[in-house]
Amino acid sequence: MAKPLSAEVVEAMLAAQDIPLAPGRAERLAPGVNALNVADPLREALDFERDPTTYLRDLAK
Amino acid sequence: MSEPATLSLAEALARLARRELSAGELLESCRARIERWQPRINAFVSSEQRSPGSGTGALAGIPLAHKDMFYRAGQVSNCGSKIRRGWVAPETAAALERLDAAGALDIGALNMSEFAYGPTGHNDHWGDCCNPWNPQYITGGSSSGSGAAVAARLVFAALGSDTGGSVRLPAAACGVTGLKTTWGRVSRHGAMPLAHSLDTIGPLARSAEDCALVLAAIAGHDARDPLTSRAALGLDLEHPFKVAISSAWIERNAHPEVAAAVFAAAKVLGNVKEVEPPPFDTLSAHCLTVMQAEASAQHAQWMRTRSQDYSSAVRVRLEAGFAIPAAQYLEVLRLRSLWLERFRATTLADVDIYLCPAIAVPIPTREETGARGGADMPKRLADVTRLTRWVNYLGVPALVLPCGFDSRGLPIGVQLVGQPFAEGTLLAAGHAYQRESDWHRRLPPENW
Repeated sequence: MAKPLSAEVVEAMLAAQDIPLAPGRAERLAPGVNALNVADPLREALDFERDPTTYLRDLAK
Repeated sequence: MSEPATLSLAEALARLARRELSAGELLESCRARIERWQPRINAFVSSEQRSPGSGTGALAGIPLAHKDMFYRAGQVSNCGSKIRRGWVAPETAAALERLDAAGALDIGALNMSEFAYGPTGHNDHWGDCCNPWNPQYITGGSSSGSGAAVAARLVFAALGSDTGGSVRLPAAACGVTGLKTTWGRVSRHGAMPLAHSLDTIGPLARSAEDCALVLAAIAGHDARDPLTSRAALGLDLEHPFKVAISSAWIERNAHPEVAAAVFAAAKVLGNVKEVEPPPFDTLSAHCLTVMQAEASAQHAQWMRTRSQDYSSAVRVRLEAGFAIPAAQYLEVLRLRSLWLERFRATTLADVDIYLCPAIAVPIPTREETGARGGADMPKRLADVTRLTRWVNYLGVPALVLPCGFDSRGLPIGVQLVGQPFAEGTLLAAGHAYQRESDWHRRLPPENW
Protein backbone atom coordinates (compact mmCIF):
# COMPACT_ATOMS: atom_id res chain seq x y z
CA MET A 1 0.00 0.00 0.00
CA ALA A 2 1.18 3.49 -0.79
CA LYS A 3 1.77 5.88 2.08
CA PRO A 4 -1.03 8.39 2.75
CA LEU A 5 -0.55 11.82 1.24
CA SER A 6 -0.06 14.61 3.78
CA ALA A 7 -1.92 17.90 3.49
CA GLU A 8 1.34 19.56 2.47
CA VAL A 9 1.83 17.10 -0.38
CA VAL A 10 -1.76 17.58 -1.55
CA GLU A 11 -1.30 21.34 -1.54
CA ALA A 12 1.97 21.02 -3.48
CA MET A 13 0.40 18.68 -6.05
CA LEU A 14 -2.39 21.14 -6.74
CA ALA A 15 -0.05 24.12 -6.78
CA ALA A 16 2.11 22.35 -9.37
CA GLN A 17 -1.00 22.13 -11.58
CA ASP A 18 -1.83 25.80 -11.02
CA ILE A 19 -4.83 25.01 -8.82
CA PRO A 20 -4.79 27.33 -5.81
CA LEU A 21 -6.33 26.15 -2.56
CA ALA A 22 -7.99 28.22 0.14
CA PRO A 23 -6.17 28.14 3.50
CA GLY A 24 -6.96 24.94 5.38
CA ARG A 25 -8.54 23.24 2.37
CA ALA A 26 -5.67 20.77 1.88
CA GLU A 27 -6.16 19.44 5.42
CA ARG A 28 -9.76 18.63 4.56
CA LEU A 29 -8.95 17.18 1.12
CA ALA A 30 -6.18 14.80 2.15
CA PRO A 31 -8.29 12.27 4.11
CA GLY A 32 -10.76 11.92 1.25
CA VAL A 33 -8.04 11.42 -1.33
CA ASN A 34 -6.25 8.87 0.85
CA ALA A 35 -9.49 6.97 1.43
CA LEU A 36 -9.60 6.14 -2.29
CA ASN A 37 -6.30 4.27 -2.16
CA VAL A 38 -7.83 1.03 -0.94
CA ALA A 39 -6.34 -2.44 -0.62
CA ASP A 40 -7.41 -4.55 -3.58
CA PRO A 41 -7.18 -8.36 -3.49
CA LEU A 42 -6.92 -8.54 -7.29
CA ARG A 43 -3.77 -6.40 -7.55
CA GLU A 44 -1.59 -9.47 -7.25
CA ALA A 45 -3.35 -11.03 -10.23
CA LEU A 46 -2.78 -8.03 -12.46
CA ASP A 47 -0.83 -9.26 -15.52
CA PHE A 48 1.96 -7.07 -16.86
CA GLU A 49 0.25 -7.09 -20.28
CA ARG A 50 -3.13 -5.93 -18.99
CA ASP A 51 -3.90 -2.30 -19.81
CA PRO A 52 -7.06 -0.19 -19.60
CA THR A 53 -8.15 -1.18 -23.12
CA THR A 54 -8.38 -4.84 -22.02
CA TYR A 55 -11.60 -3.83 -20.33
CA LEU A 56 -13.25 -2.95 -23.64
CA ARG A 57 -12.58 -6.45 -25.00
CA ASP A 58 -13.93 -8.07 -21.85
CA LEU A 59 -17.04 -5.91 -21.84
CA ALA A 60 -17.89 -7.05 -25.37
CA LYS A 61 -17.43 -10.78 -24.62
CA MET B 1 -60.93 9.92 -17.92
CA SER B 2 -58.06 10.86 -15.60
CA GLU B 3 -55.47 13.33 -16.83
CA PRO B 4 -53.81 12.00 -20.02
CA ALA B 5 -50.41 13.00 -18.61
CA THR B 6 -50.77 10.37 -15.88
CA LEU B 7 -50.87 7.50 -18.36
CA SER B 8 -47.75 5.45 -18.95
CA LEU B 9 -45.88 6.10 -22.18
CA ALA B 10 -47.00 2.70 -23.53
CA GLU B 11 -50.63 3.45 -22.66
CA ALA B 12 -50.40 6.90 -24.23
CA LEU B 13 -49.02 5.42 -27.46
CA ALA B 14 -51.82 2.84 -27.53
CA ARG B 15 -54.49 5.52 -27.08
CA LEU B 16 -52.90 7.70 -29.74
CA ALA B 17 -52.92 4.73 -32.12
CA ARG B 18 -56.60 4.09 -31.38
CA ARG B 19 -57.29 7.82 -31.83
CA GLU B 20 -58.79 8.00 -28.34
CA LEU B 21 -56.36 10.82 -27.63
CA SER B 22 -54.55 13.41 -29.71
CA ALA B 23 -50.95 14.53 -29.37
CA GLY B 24 -52.29 18.00 -28.63
CA GLU B 25 -54.30 16.69 -25.66
CA LEU B 26 -51.25 14.91 -24.29
CA LEU B 27 -49.16 18.06 -24.55
CA GLU B 28 -51.89 20.21 -23.03
CA SER B 29 -52.20 17.82 -20.09
CA CYS B 30 -48.42 17.84 -19.48
CA ARG B 31 -48.33 21.64 -19.70
CA ALA B 32 -51.16 21.93 -17.15
CA ARG B 33 -49.29 19.69 -14.71
CA ILE B 34 -46.04 21.61 -15.25
CA GLU B 35 -47.84 24.84 -14.37
CA ARG B 36 -49.11 23.33 -11.12
CA TRP B 37 -45.98 21.45 -10.09
CA GLN B 38 -43.05 23.60 -11.21
CA PRO B 39 -43.32 26.15 -8.35
CA ARG B 40 -43.24 23.26 -5.88
CA ILE B 41 -40.43 21.08 -7.28
CA ASN B 42 -38.35 23.26 -9.67
CA ALA B 43 -37.89 20.40 -12.13
CA PHE B 44 -37.56 22.58 -15.25
CA VAL B 45 -34.96 25.23 -15.98
CA SER B 46 -36.79 26.06 -19.20
CA SER B 47 -40.20 24.94 -20.40
CA GLU B 48 -39.81 26.41 -23.87
CA GLN B 49 -40.43 23.79 -26.52
CA ARG B 50 -37.13 22.62 -28.02
CA SER B 51 -38.37 20.17 -30.65
CA PRO B 52 -41.96 19.86 -31.94
CA GLY B 53 -41.90 16.13 -32.65
CA SER B 54 -43.60 14.60 -35.65
CA GLY B 55 -46.59 12.53 -36.62
CA THR B 56 -44.58 9.44 -37.41
CA GLY B 57 -42.15 7.25 -35.52
CA ALA B 58 -42.24 4.92 -32.53
CA LEU B 59 -42.66 7.80 -30.06
CA ALA B 60 -44.72 10.12 -32.25
CA GLY B 61 -46.61 12.72 -30.23
CA ILE B 62 -45.08 11.86 -26.85
CA PRO B 63 -43.96 14.86 -24.75
CA LEU B 64 -40.50 14.34 -23.24
CA ALA B 65 -37.93 16.65 -21.65
CA HIS B 66 -34.30 16.02 -20.79
CA LYS B 67 -31.53 16.87 -18.39
CA ASP B 68 -30.06 20.25 -19.33
CA MET B 69 -26.81 18.70 -20.58
CA PHE B 70 -28.03 17.18 -23.83
CA TYR B 71 -27.07 19.68 -26.46
CA ARG B 72 -29.40 20.95 -29.16
CA ALA B 73 -27.92 23.01 -31.98
CA GLY B 74 -28.64 26.71 -31.57
CA GLN B 75 -30.25 26.27 -28.15
CA VAL B 76 -29.00 26.86 -24.63
CA SER B 77 -27.57 24.09 -22.43
CA ASN B 78 -26.66 25.44 -19.02
CA CYS B 79 -25.39 22.12 -17.61
CA GLY B 80 -26.72 23.15 -14.19
CA SER B 81 -23.89 25.63 -13.88
CA LYS B 82 -23.03 29.30 -13.67
CA ILE B 83 -20.07 28.80 -15.99
CA ARG B 84 -22.21 27.56 -18.87
CA ARG B 85 -25.25 29.72 -18.16
CA GLY B 86 -26.61 30.81 -21.53
CA TRP B 87 -24.15 28.71 -23.54
CA VAL B 88 -25.55 27.92 -26.99
CA ALA B 89 -24.74 24.43 -28.23
CA PRO B 90 -23.25 24.09 -31.73
CA GLU B 91 -24.67 20.61 -32.33
CA THR B 92 -27.41 18.24 -31.26
CA ALA B 93 -26.82 15.24 -29.03
CA ALA B 94 -27.03 11.90 -30.82
CA ALA B 95 -29.60 10.65 -28.31
CA LEU B 96 -31.82 13.68 -29.00
CA GLU B 97 -31.45 13.24 -32.76
CA ARG B 98 -32.74 9.70 -32.36
CA LEU B 99 -35.68 10.75 -30.19
CA ASP B 100 -36.50 13.47 -32.74
CA ALA B 101 -36.43 10.83 -35.47
CA ALA B 102 -38.80 8.71 -33.37
CA GLY B 103 -41.26 11.62 -33.36
CA ALA B 104 -41.05 12.56 -29.66
CA LEU B 105 -41.59 16.16 -28.54
CA ASP B 106 -38.93 17.87 -26.43
CA ILE B 107 -40.83 20.32 -24.25
CA GLY B 108 -38.10 21.75 -22.05
CA ALA B 109 -34.80 21.47 -20.25
CA LEU B 110 -34.66 19.80 -16.85
CA ASN B 111 -32.82 20.82 -13.71
CA MET B 112 -29.71 18.90 -12.73
CA SER B 113 -26.79 18.98 -10.33
CA GLU B 114 -24.04 21.39 -11.36
CA PHE B 115 -22.09 19.73 -14.20
CA ALA B 116 -23.76 16.42 -13.18
CA TYR B 117 -21.33 16.28 -10.28
CA GLY B 118 -23.53 15.74 -7.23
CA PRO B 119 -25.74 12.92 -5.93
CA THR B 120 -28.55 14.86 -4.25
CA GLY B 121 -30.21 17.39 -6.58
CA HIS B 122 -28.92 20.48 -4.77
CA ASN B 123 -28.08 23.34 -7.10
CA ASP B 124 -26.73 26.70 -5.90
CA HIS B 125 -27.12 28.33 -9.32
CA TRP B 126 -30.55 27.16 -10.51
CA GLY B 127 -32.20 26.30 -7.21
CA ASP B 128 -32.58 22.87 -5.68
CA CYS B 129 -34.84 20.41 -7.40
CA CYS B 130 -37.30 19.06 -4.83
CA ASN B 131 -38.79 15.63 -4.32
CA PRO B 132 -42.42 15.51 -5.52
CA TRP B 133 -43.36 13.20 -2.62
CA ASN B 134 -42.13 15.79 -0.12
CA PRO B 135 -40.16 18.87 -1.19
CA GLN B 136 -38.11 18.86 2.03
CA TYR B 137 -36.34 15.74 0.77
CA ILE B 138 -33.72 15.27 -1.91
CA THR B 139 -34.60 14.09 -5.40
CA GLY B 140 -31.29 12.30 -5.76
CA GLY B 141 -28.93 13.46 -8.47
CA SER B 142 -27.53 14.34 -10.69
CA SER B 143 -30.52 13.82 -13.03
CA SER B 144 -32.70 15.50 -10.43
CA GLY B 145 -35.16 17.19 -12.77
CA SER B 146 -35.55 14.01 -14.80
CA GLY B 147 -36.57 12.02 -11.73
CA ALA B 148 -38.87 14.72 -10.35
CA ALA B 149 -40.55 15.53 -13.68
CA VAL B 150 -41.31 11.89 -14.48
CA ALA B 151 -42.54 11.20 -10.94
CA ALA B 152 -44.89 14.21 -11.00
CA ARG B 153 -46.15 13.14 -14.44
CA LEU B 154 -44.95 16.32 -16.13
CA VAL B 155 -43.41 14.33 -19.01
CA PHE B 156 -43.67 10.69 -20.01
CA ALA B 157 -39.94 10.01 -19.85
CA ALA B 158 -36.66 11.90 -19.63
CA LEU B 159 -33.04 11.25 -20.44
CA GLY B 160 -30.47 11.32 -17.67
CA SER B 161 -26.80 10.54 -17.44
CA ASP B 162 -25.24 8.08 -15.00
CA THR B 163 -21.57 8.30 -14.03
CA GLY B 164 -21.88 7.14 -10.41
CA GLY B 165 -25.62 6.70 -9.95
CA SER B 166 -27.13 9.80 -11.53
CA VAL B 167 -30.03 8.00 -13.23
CA ARG B 168 -30.63 5.44 -10.49
CA LEU B 169 -30.51 7.73 -7.44
CA PRO B 170 -33.25 10.08 -8.69
CA ALA B 171 -35.26 7.11 -9.93
CA ALA B 172 -35.10 5.53 -6.47
CA ALA B 173 -35.71 8.74 -4.51
CA CYS B 174 -38.57 9.92 -6.72
CA GLY B 175 -40.24 6.53 -7.20
CA VAL B 176 -39.78 6.04 -10.94
CA THR B 177 -38.05 3.47 -13.14
CA GLY B 178 -34.51 4.32 -14.28
CA LEU B 179 -32.10 2.44 -16.51
CA LYS B 180 -28.34 2.84 -16.28
CA THR B 181 -27.16 1.45 -19.60
CA THR B 182 -24.01 -0.53 -20.32
CA TRP B 183 -20.99 1.68 -20.97
CA GLY B 184 -21.05 1.98 -24.78
CA ARG B 185 -24.73 1.19 -25.33
CA VAL B 186 -25.90 4.77 -26.04
CA SER B 187 -23.89 7.41 -27.88
CA ARG B 188 -22.63 10.24 -25.70
CA HIS B 189 -21.97 12.50 -28.66
CA GLY B 190 -23.35 15.94 -27.85
CA ALA B 191 -23.85 15.17 -24.15
CA MET B 192 -21.85 17.05 -21.54
CA PRO B 193 -18.96 14.84 -20.37
CA LEU B 194 -18.10 14.25 -16.73
CA ALA B 195 -15.85 11.17 -16.63
CA HIS B 196 -15.48 9.47 -20.00
CA SER B 197 -14.63 6.00 -18.67
CA LEU B 198 -17.85 5.93 -16.67
CA ASP B 199 -20.40 8.20 -18.39
CA THR B 200 -23.56 6.54 -19.65
CA ILE B 201 -26.94 7.81 -20.85
CA GLY B 202 -30.25 6.24 -19.98
CA PRO B 203 -33.98 6.85 -19.58
CA LEU B 204 -36.11 7.56 -16.53
CA ALA B 205 -39.73 6.65 -17.13
CA ARG B 206 -42.85 5.37 -15.42
CA SER B 207 -42.22 1.67 -16.02
CA ALA B 208 -39.71 -0.82 -17.37
CA GLU B 209 -41.85 -1.11 -20.47
CA ASP B 210 -41.58 2.65 -21.00
CA CYS B 211 -37.81 2.56 -20.48
CA ALA B 212 -37.63 -0.15 -23.15
CA LEU B 213 -39.49 2.07 -25.60
CA VAL B 214 -37.06 4.95 -25.05
CA LEU B 215 -33.99 2.70 -25.07
CA ALA B 216 -35.04 1.18 -28.39
CA ALA B 217 -35.04 4.68 -29.87
CA ILE B 218 -31.66 5.85 -28.53
CA ALA B 219 -29.42 2.76 -28.44
CA GLY B 220 -26.93 1.74 -31.09
CA HIS B 221 -23.60 2.43 -32.68
CA ASP B 222 -22.69 6.00 -33.53
CA ALA B 223 -19.43 6.76 -35.30
CA ARG B 224 -19.19 10.05 -33.41
CA ASP B 225 -18.85 8.10 -30.15
CA PRO B 226 -16.46 5.33 -31.21
CA LEU B 227 -16.99 3.42 -27.96
CA THR B 228 -20.60 2.67 -28.84
CA SER B 229 -21.29 -0.98 -29.41
CA ARG B 230 -22.94 -2.76 -32.32
CA ALA B 231 -24.31 -5.39 -29.90
CA ALA B 232 -27.95 -6.27 -30.56
CA LEU B 233 -30.43 -4.71 -28.17
CA GLY B 234 -32.47 -7.90 -27.71
CA LEU B 235 -35.52 -6.30 -26.13
CA ASP B 236 -37.88 -9.15 -25.28
CA LEU B 237 -39.98 -8.33 -22.24
CA GLU B 238 -40.86 -12.02 -21.83
CA HIS B 239 -37.19 -13.06 -21.60
CA PRO B 240 -36.63 -15.57 -18.75
CA PHE B 241 -34.25 -14.64 -15.93
CA LYS B 242 -32.75 -15.88 -12.68
CA VAL B 243 -31.93 -13.61 -9.76
CA ALA B 244 -29.28 -13.60 -7.02
CA ILE B 245 -29.28 -11.67 -3.75
CA SER B 246 -27.05 -11.24 -0.68
CA SER B 247 -29.68 -11.28 2.05
CA ALA B 248 -27.31 -11.26 5.02
CA TRP B 249 -25.51 -8.16 3.72
CA ILE B 250 -28.83 -6.36 3.22
CA GLU B 251 -30.01 -7.33 6.73
CA ARG B 252 -26.79 -6.01 8.23
CA ASN B 253 -26.41 -2.83 6.18
CA ALA B 254 -29.78 -1.61 4.95
CA HIS B 255 -32.41 0.23 6.96
CA PRO B 256 -35.10 -2.27 8.06
CA GLU B 257 -37.82 -0.60 5.97
CA VAL B 258 -35.59 -0.66 2.90
CA ALA B 259 -34.61 -4.28 3.53
CA ALA B 260 -38.22 -5.36 3.94
CA ALA B 261 -39.27 -3.71 0.67
CA VAL B 262 -36.32 -5.19 -1.23
CA PHE B 263 -36.94 -8.68 0.15
CA ALA B 264 -40.59 -8.40 -0.84
CA ALA B 265 -39.53 -7.44 -4.37
CA ALA B 266 -37.15 -10.41 -4.54
CA LYS B 267 -39.98 -12.69 -3.50
CA VAL B 268 -42.13 -11.42 -6.36
CA LEU B 269 -39.30 -12.11 -8.84
CA GLY B 270 -39.01 -15.63 -7.39
CA ASN B 271 -36.36 -18.37 -7.55
CA VAL B 272 -33.71 -16.19 -5.92
CA LYS B 273 -30.26 -17.60 -5.22
CA GLU B 274 -28.09 -16.46 -2.30
CA VAL B 275 -24.58 -15.26 -3.27
CA GLU B 276 -21.71 -13.44 -1.59
CA PRO B 277 -21.97 -9.68 -2.15
CA PRO B 278 -19.52 -7.96 -4.49
CA PRO B 279 -17.00 -5.80 -2.58
CA PHE B 280 -19.16 -2.70 -2.91
CA ASP B 281 -16.86 -0.38 -1.00
CA THR B 282 -13.66 -1.34 -2.85
CA LEU B 283 -15.32 -1.02 -6.24
CA SER B 284 -16.95 2.24 -5.19
CA ALA B 285 -13.56 3.67 -4.18
CA HIS B 286 -12.18 2.64 -7.58
CA CYS B 287 -15.11 4.33 -9.30
CA LEU B 288 -14.48 7.50 -7.35
CA THR B 289 -10.77 7.42 -8.24
CA VAL B 290 -11.63 7.28 -11.93
CA MET B 291 -14.45 9.80 -11.65
CA GLN B 292 -12.49 12.38 -9.73
CA ALA B 293 -9.34 12.11 -11.87
CA GLU B 294 -11.27 12.36 -15.14
CA ALA B 295 -13.70 15.06 -14.00
CA SER B 296 -10.84 17.23 -12.76
CA ALA B 297 -8.98 16.81 -16.05
CA GLN B 298 -12.19 17.75 -17.89
CA HIS B 299 -12.60 20.89 -15.77
CA ALA B 300 -8.91 21.80 -15.44
CA GLN B 301 -9.03 25.00 -17.51
CA TRP B 302 -12.07 26.41 -15.73
CA MET B 303 -10.61 25.39 -12.36
CA ARG B 304 -7.58 27.52 -13.19
CA THR B 305 -9.47 30.52 -14.47
CA ARG B 306 -12.99 30.47 -13.00
CA SER B 307 -12.88 28.38 -9.85
CA GLN B 308 -14.94 31.00 -8.01
CA ASP B 309 -17.84 30.26 -10.38
CA TYR B 310 -18.28 26.70 -9.13
CA SER B 311 -20.38 25.99 -6.06
CA SER B 312 -18.33 25.13 -3.02
CA ALA B 313 -19.43 21.47 -3.10
CA VAL B 314 -18.41 20.92 -6.72
CA ARG B 315 -15.17 22.87 -6.38
CA VAL B 316 -14.10 20.64 -3.48
CA ARG B 317 -14.82 17.50 -5.51
CA LEU B 318 -12.84 18.89 -8.43
CA GLU B 319 -9.92 19.92 -6.23
CA ALA B 320 -9.67 16.36 -4.89
CA GLY B 321 -9.19 14.95 -8.38
CA PHE B 322 -5.99 16.91 -8.88
CA ALA B 323 -4.43 15.05 -5.95
CA ILE B 324 -4.93 11.58 -7.42
CA PRO B 325 -1.63 10.23 -8.76
CA ALA B 326 -1.77 9.24 -12.45
CA ALA B 327 -0.32 5.81 -11.69
CA GLN B 328 -3.07 5.12 -9.14
CA TYR B 329 -5.75 6.17 -11.62
CA LEU B 330 -4.32 3.98 -14.37
CA GLU B 331 -3.83 0.97 -12.12
CA VAL B 332 -7.49 1.17 -11.13
CA LEU B 333 -8.43 1.21 -14.82
CA ARG B 334 -6.16 -1.82 -15.43
CA LEU B 335 -7.93 -3.65 -12.59
CA ARG B 336 -11.32 -2.98 -14.12
CA SER B 337 -11.43 -5.98 -16.46
CA LEU B 338 -10.35 -8.30 -13.64
CA TRP B 339 -13.23 -7.12 -11.51
CA LEU B 340 -15.68 -7.48 -14.38
CA GLU B 341 -14.47 -11.07 -14.92
CA ARG B 342 -14.80 -11.74 -11.19
CA PHE B 343 -18.34 -10.34 -11.08
CA ARG B 344 -19.42 -12.49 -14.01
CA ALA B 345 -17.71 -15.62 -12.73
CA THR B 346 -18.96 -15.39 -9.15
CA THR B 347 -21.96 -13.13 -8.51
CA LEU B 348 -23.58 -13.86 -11.88
CA ALA B 349 -22.19 -17.39 -12.31
CA ASP B 350 -25.59 -19.10 -12.32
CA VAL B 351 -27.96 -16.18 -12.64
CA ASP B 352 -28.76 -13.28 -14.93
CA ILE B 353 -29.42 -10.56 -12.37
CA TYR B 354 -28.00 -9.41 -9.05
CA LEU B 355 -30.60 -7.70 -6.85
CA CYS B 356 -29.84 -5.17 -4.12
CA PRO B 357 -31.25 -1.88 -2.81
CA ALA B 358 -30.64 1.22 -4.91
CA ILE B 359 -30.20 3.30 -1.73
CA ALA B 360 -29.76 1.34 1.49
CA VAL B 361 -30.86 4.16 3.79
CA PRO B 362 -34.02 6.29 4.00
CA ILE B 363 -33.98 9.30 1.67
CA PRO B 364 -32.38 12.23 3.57
CA THR B 365 -33.66 15.78 3.61
CA ARG B 366 -32.15 18.57 1.50
CA GLU B 367 -30.98 20.29 4.67
CA GLU B 368 -29.24 17.18 6.02
CA THR B 369 -27.25 16.79 2.81
CA GLY B 370 -26.68 20.44 1.94
CA ALA B 371 -24.16 23.06 2.98
CA ARG B 372 -25.76 23.27 6.43
CA GLY B 373 -25.79 19.52 6.91
CA GLY B 374 -23.17 19.64 9.62
CA ALA B 375 -20.58 17.04 10.53
CA ASP B 376 -22.78 14.10 9.49
CA MET B 377 -23.27 15.37 5.96
CA PRO B 378 -20.35 13.51 4.28
CA LYS B 379 -21.46 10.24 5.86
CA ARG B 380 -25.05 10.79 4.69
CA LEU B 381 -23.85 11.40 1.12
CA ALA B 382 -21.67 8.28 1.25
CA ASP B 383 -24.65 6.24 2.45
CA VAL B 384 -26.77 7.49 -0.45
CA THR B 385 -24.19 6.51 -3.11
CA ARG B 386 -22.86 3.33 -1.52
CA LEU B 387 -24.67 0.91 -3.84
CA THR B 388 -24.54 2.69 -7.18
CA ARG B 389 -20.91 3.56 -7.99
CA TRP B 390 -19.67 -0.02 -8.03
CA VAL B 391 -21.93 -0.65 -11.04
CA ASN B 392 -20.32 2.20 -13.01
CA TYR B 393 -16.86 0.86 -12.28
CA LEU B 394 -17.88 -2.52 -13.73
CA GLY B 395 -19.61 -0.76 -16.65
CA VAL B 396 -22.62 -3.10 -16.52
CA PRO B 397 -26.31 -2.11 -16.83
CA ALA B 398 -28.67 -1.67 -13.89
CA LEU B 399 -32.39 -1.00 -13.57
CA VAL B 400 -34.00 0.71 -10.59
CA LEU B 401 -37.67 0.04 -9.86
CA PRO B 402 -39.92 1.52 -7.18
CA CYS B 403 -40.68 -1.24 -4.65
CA GLY B 404 -42.44 0.48 -1.76
CA PHE B 405 -42.58 3.49 0.53
CA ASP B 406 -41.06 4.12 3.93
CA SER B 407 -43.01 5.21 6.98
CA ARG B 408 -42.55 8.88 5.96
CA GLY B 409 -44.16 8.23 2.59
CA LEU B 410 -40.94 8.42 0.57
CA PRO B 411 -40.15 5.91 -2.19
CA ILE B 412 -37.85 2.90 -1.86
CA GLY B 413 -36.07 1.53 -4.93
CA VAL B 414 -34.71 -1.90 -5.77
CA GLN B 415 -31.76 -2.25 -8.15
CA LEU B 416 -31.29 -5.07 -10.67
CA VAL B 417 -27.73 -5.40 -12.05
CA GLY B 418 -26.99 -7.48 -15.13
CA GLN B 419 -24.42 -8.70 -17.61
CA PRO B 420 -22.89 -6.23 -20.08
CA PHE B 421 -25.39 -5.34 -22.82
CA ALA B 422 -28.15 -7.37 -21.12
CA GLU B 423 -30.50 -4.41 -20.70
CA GLY B 424 -33.22 -6.57 -22.27
CA THR B 425 -33.02 -9.11 -19.44
CA LEU B 426 -33.20 -6.40 -16.80
CA LEU B 427 -36.19 -4.78 -18.48
CA ALA B 428 -37.92 -8.18 -18.75
CA ALA B 429 -37.45 -8.68 -15.01
CA GLY B 430 -38.66 -5.16 -14.33
CA HIS B 431 -41.72 -5.71 -16.51
CA ALA B 432 -42.48 -9.01 -14.77
CA TYR B 433 -42.23 -7.29 -11.38
CA GLN B 434 -44.42 -4.38 -12.44
CA ARG B 435 -47.12 -6.75 -13.69
CA GLU B 436 -47.34 -8.03 -10.12
CA SER B 437 -46.99 -4.72 -8.25
CA ASP B 438 -48.41 -1.24 -8.51
CA TRP B 439 -45.72 0.91 -6.84
CA HIS B 440 -44.83 2.41 -10.21
CA ARG B 441 -48.41 3.55 -10.69
CA ARG B 442 -48.59 5.60 -7.49
CA LEU B 443 -48.76 9.38 -7.96
CA PRO B 444 -47.30 11.99 -5.62
CA PRO B 445 -50.11 13.77 -3.74
CA GLU B 446 -51.34 17.21 -4.79
CA ASN B 447 -52.76 18.14 -1.41
CA TRP B 448 -50.48 21.07 -0.63
